[in-house]
Parts: sequence; structure tokens; C-alpha cells
Amino acid sequence: MGTFVQLVVDGLSTGSIYAAIALAIVLVNQATGLINFAQGGMAVLAVYVAWVLTNEGVPLILAILASIVFSIVFGAVVERFLMRRFERGDPDTAVVVTIGLLTLITGVAGWLWSYNNQQFPSLFPLDTVQFLGVSVSIRSIGNTVVIIVVMGLLQALFVGTKLGLALRAVAINPESAAFSGLPVGRLLMVGWGLAAALGAVAGALVAPQLTLTPGMLDNALVYALAAVILGGLTSPVGVVVAAWIIGILENLAAVYVPFIGFDLKVAVPFILLFVVLVVRPQGLFGRKSVVRV
Amino acid sequence: MASASSVSSAPASSAPSAPPFRQRPWVRWALPLLLLVVLVVAPLVLSEGVNETLARIGVFAVAVLGLNVVMGYTGQVSLGQIFFLGVGAYVTAYGVQNDWNIVGVFALACLIPAVAGLLVALAAARLGGLAIAMVTIALPIVGVPLAKRLSEFTGGSQGLSARFAETPEWTGLYDDQWQLYVVLVIGGLVFVLTRALVRGKYGRAFAIVRGNENVASSMGISPYRYKVLAFTIASLIGGVSGFLYMLVIQYTSPETMSFGHSIELLAAMVIGGAGSIVGSLLGGAYYVLIPELTNQVDPNLTSLLQGAILLVVLFLLPGGLASLPRALTRGRRRTRVGRGPAATPSTPSSTTGSATAEPAPTERQGHA
Repeated sequence: MGTFVQLVVDGLSTGSIYAAIALAIVLVNQATGLINFAQGGMAVLAVYVAWVLTNEGVPLILAILASIVFSIVFGAVVERFLMRRFERGDPDTAVVVTIGLLTLITGVAGWLWSYNNQQFPSLFPLDTVQFLGVSVSIRSIGNTVVIIVVMGLLQALFVGTKLGLALRAVAINPESAAFSGLPVGRLLMVGWGLAAALGAVAGALVAPQLTLTPGMLDNALVYALAAVILGGLTSPVGVVVAAWIIGILENLAAVYVPFIGFDLKVAVPFILLFVVLVVRPQGLFGRKSVVRV
Repeated sequence: MASASSVSSAPASSAPSAPPFRQRPWVRWALPLLLLVVLVVAPLVLSEGVNETLARIGVFAVAVLGLNVVMGYTGQVSLGQIFFLGVGAYVTAYGVQNDWNIVGVFALACLIPAVAGLLVALAAARLGGLAIAMVTIALPIVGVPLAKRLSEFTGGSQGLSARFAETPEWTGLYDDQWQLYVVLVIGGLVFVLTRALVRGKYGRAFAIVRGNENVASSMGISPYRYKVLAFTIASLIGGVSGFLYMLVIQYTSPETMSFGHSIELLAAMVIGGAGSIVGSLLGGAYYVLIPELTNQVDPNLTSLLQGAILLVVLFLLPGGLASLPRALTRGRRRTRVGRGPAATPSTPSSTTGSATAEPAPTERQGHA
């Protein structure tokens, strides 16, 4: 029982990381209709920025905040100077552009900081706490809580502020938003910046566990994409729930299903995915989209 | 080969008045014949190193061609093509190690990836748009640990090596020449068959699915069925390239189907030219030659340069290298006719916003 609860809490923690990246992907997709395969890569770049700063003696929390600011700027710049040109075009081309961006970012990180694993300090102590007779790691709880708080803030931004309203308007219908006088281009930059910031938080939280490498979040990206499909592109809540389910299931499967083990647990979300795709193609929570010709 | 066909495809739609050069009867016969002669003679006169490089280009040109069927022609982004190459290579290696008949091994190396591709596509193609990309990205990521796990069949992390198709005595050829001939025959056959496929009934159906799925279904063309078909064919071609990979490189490991290689293959296809037969050849050449070049510059820069090249090509030449002759002739025509506004109504570069929206008018159109 003790292991079980521990696995669930750890799964919730990794699931939160996937959820953050998945939400970033949904955020970009809602605004621009494309899937950013470089979302993980951009987050890794932000973690490297934080890592360089901590090496310079900057306190960890400040370094992470600085990397988040960097991400907002970087996301906006990528949108304006790279993606803008491809947004109205063929979505396939835009996707390939994000894949090129991923390759480029990985290459830049590998070139500047080598492909070796780097230690990244953890925000939370590695101790465990006793909770109802079960020991649970503080880091897992901390990661989950931070991600939930960040999501709450984002939700508040989208629902409670004028900026959020404008962002939602652009996501729903860019043309009408432009006719209403909203600066669509600038709002898209904000959207990309927020998505990148979300990724940066996730990256900083998961980096101590995975150790920092340029390809650190490649697997997490795959999990996040699985969560996006499972949850349905139109449903942020569904995506978060799907990410948690994936995080918990893969942890349980790794321990309790001998054939899967730790090396093959990456297959778990996809087994789940295939089942869901056959049974419920619009995702667990998504709406079936109807397109008029 | 590449230069000959790119010349032939360039002016296809440009000059309606005078019969285009390539339409003249003697040209239509002479060009392929010349190509054939060059291909037969080349392996005999080229050096060993060049032959080996050409054989490797052939292997990856076939892999890129498979990716082109599903992505270039049908418009479904696939990040998993390298997985099918890997499966084909493993099947081949396993069969050879167990002394199976080589024809049977070849058949299995085609069949098993095709079945795997069919199963993946049956689920993935249910989702529209980019979902196929999001699902197929899992193939290399799951494939690598899976190959390590199934060590009974795959040799685990150490991989498998196998030598087969020894050069027959009677030919008097060296190994590299014989290998290149086998690659040319099998690869050439795949190219000819695929060219026929994408220019025929199925190719037109693929093009409609790529253009607009709703229009396709309104015409009685099931997007789902054709997406599955395209993906299965792509997997089958991937299996063939896996067989050739084993023939030429004679060694495979889980690393063969890594995520990085999958992305490189996709980049090679886009840079060569999506939806283009010639582009597949150029893509194969890019896949083999550019890493060698960038490694000489600085191995640490390989990934950076590849990403940069991909982005630059997408910005400047969305149709890939295969569209270069067309872009050049268009540019020349524009400077010549230049004054009339009607001269360049459909030039993509004149409408910056939608530049990438227009699928490049590939060879498949105009051959009804």
C-alpha cells in the first residue's frame, strides 16, 4: 500500500510536468491552430539560462524567475519573426518549422553547453514526509502544487483580466478580433510568450530529476502530446486530467506490469491512446468538431 | 539521375505554345535510356568510396520516398518513418542470421513493417489534422526501448550485424559494385512503382485528401481510407529501405531508429522537396552527405546547422530543392515579362502572407 500511494503521488508530480507542457501546446494551438513541437526544446533552453545564472551565484528562485522572463521574450520573438510567416499557411509546413526550431534549439544548447548531463539544483528538499503512515517525497508534492498554482494563475488571467479576454477572442476568431480593433499580432506574441513561460516552469521543476541535457524534454514532449490527444485539443481541463492519468498509470505499470518495466513505460500512454482513439476519436473530453465546407 | 529528371520536370507547365523540349518523342525515349546507361556504367567506373556513398544515398532515398508518399503527397505529417526502416532492417538481420531464404526475408521485410504501419494508421488516421504527427512521434521514442527489450530478436543494445547477398562469382564484380547494383535495381523499381502510383488514380485521390478532406469526402473519396492506404504504403517502402540498409550498412542497432534520425529524415524530405520524386532522391543525398559535411566543420555543430538549414530552406524555398529549377525559370520569366501586372499573378513570393499556403504545383498535376 505504501509503495502504491508513493507511486501515485510521484505519478501526479510527473503528470503535472506533462500537463504544463501539454497546456502550453494547447495554448499555442488555440491561438494559432498549430502544434509546437519545439515547446519542450524552448523550455530546455530556459532551464539552461537558469542553470547558467545559478552557476554565476544567482539564487535559484531568482534564476528561475529570470528564465521565465527570458522565455516570455523568447516565445514572443519566435512567434513574431519565425512563425508569423507560416501561421496562415499550410499547417504541415508550420509543423515542420517547429520541428526545425526544435533541432536548432537542441543544436544551440548542445553547442553552447555540450550534450553532457548537467546537475540542476532542486527547489525542494529531497526528504520524504510521513503522511497517514505513508512516506511521500516533498519534491513530488511541491512540483504538483507549483504547477497547480501556475495553472490557477493562468486561468485567472484568462477569465478575469482584459488581456485574457482579448487572448480568448483571438483564439476563437482572429479575423473578428482584428475587426474589433484588437492587436492580433501582439496578442499572438503574448500567447506564445505565456506558453513558453509555462514550459519554463515545468522544465525548471523536472530538471533536477532528469538532469539537464539538450534532449531532456523530448520524452516529456511525447507524453504531453499524448495528453493533448487524450484530453482533446479543445479542452484544457481534459488535457490536465489526461496528463495526470498518464503520469500515474505509467508509474504503476512500470512497477506492477513486469513486461513494461521502467524502460518501456513510455509506451503506456500510447497503448492508452490507441484504445481511446479506436473507441472515442475526439478524445476523452474533447468535442467532436464539425466542419462546414 | 537527379539532374536528368529535374531538367525534365522543370518546364512542364511553362510553355503551352511551343512543344516543350521533353515532350518531343525522341527526348522522351532518349532521356530514360541515357539515364539507364549511366546507371549501368557508373558503378563500374566510380571508385569504391563513391559507390558506397551512392548506395547509402539510394537506401535513404527510398526511405524519404516512403515518407513522401504519406507526407508530401497525402499531406499527413509522419514522424515515424525511421521506425519502419528499423523494423525492416531488424527483420532482415534476423532472417539472414537464421539462414532463411533471402527472397522470403525480403518479402517479410516488406510485409511486417506494412502490417505495423497499417495498425498504427488505423488508429492514428481517425484523428484529423496534425494528430498523425502527434501519434507517430511515439514510434521512434517507443521503438528504441522496445528494440532493446526484445533482445532475443534484436540483440539488445548491441544490435545485429548480418552479411548477405554475397557477390556471385560469375559477375566478376567487387562487393561495392554488386551492392550498388542491387540497391539500384530494388530502389529503382520502388521509385518507378511509386511514380506510377502517385501519378495515377491513387495519386489524385491522395492529392485531394491533402488539399481538402471535406472536398474529398464529398467526391466519394474517403479521407480515412486513403490516409491509411498512404501510411501503409509508406511503411512498406520504409521496410524495403530497411532491407537495403542491412544490405549496405550490414549492421543495425536500436540507435538506427532514434528520434533524432527520424527528424533528420523528415528534414531531408522537406529540403529535397515534398511531393516530388526527384525531391526524394535529393533528400536521400542530403540525408547522407550533409552530416558528413557538418561533421567536418564541427561535430558539435551538426544539429545546429541542420536545424538552421531546414529553417532557411522553408523560408526561401518552401518547395524544397526540387522546386529550384521552377523557381529559377519563374524568376527569369518575371524579369523578362516584368512590366505587365498580369505576368505574375500566382507567384507565391508576391503574396507574402500565403506564400507557404499554396502547395507547390508538383509534377503530379498536369499528368491526368
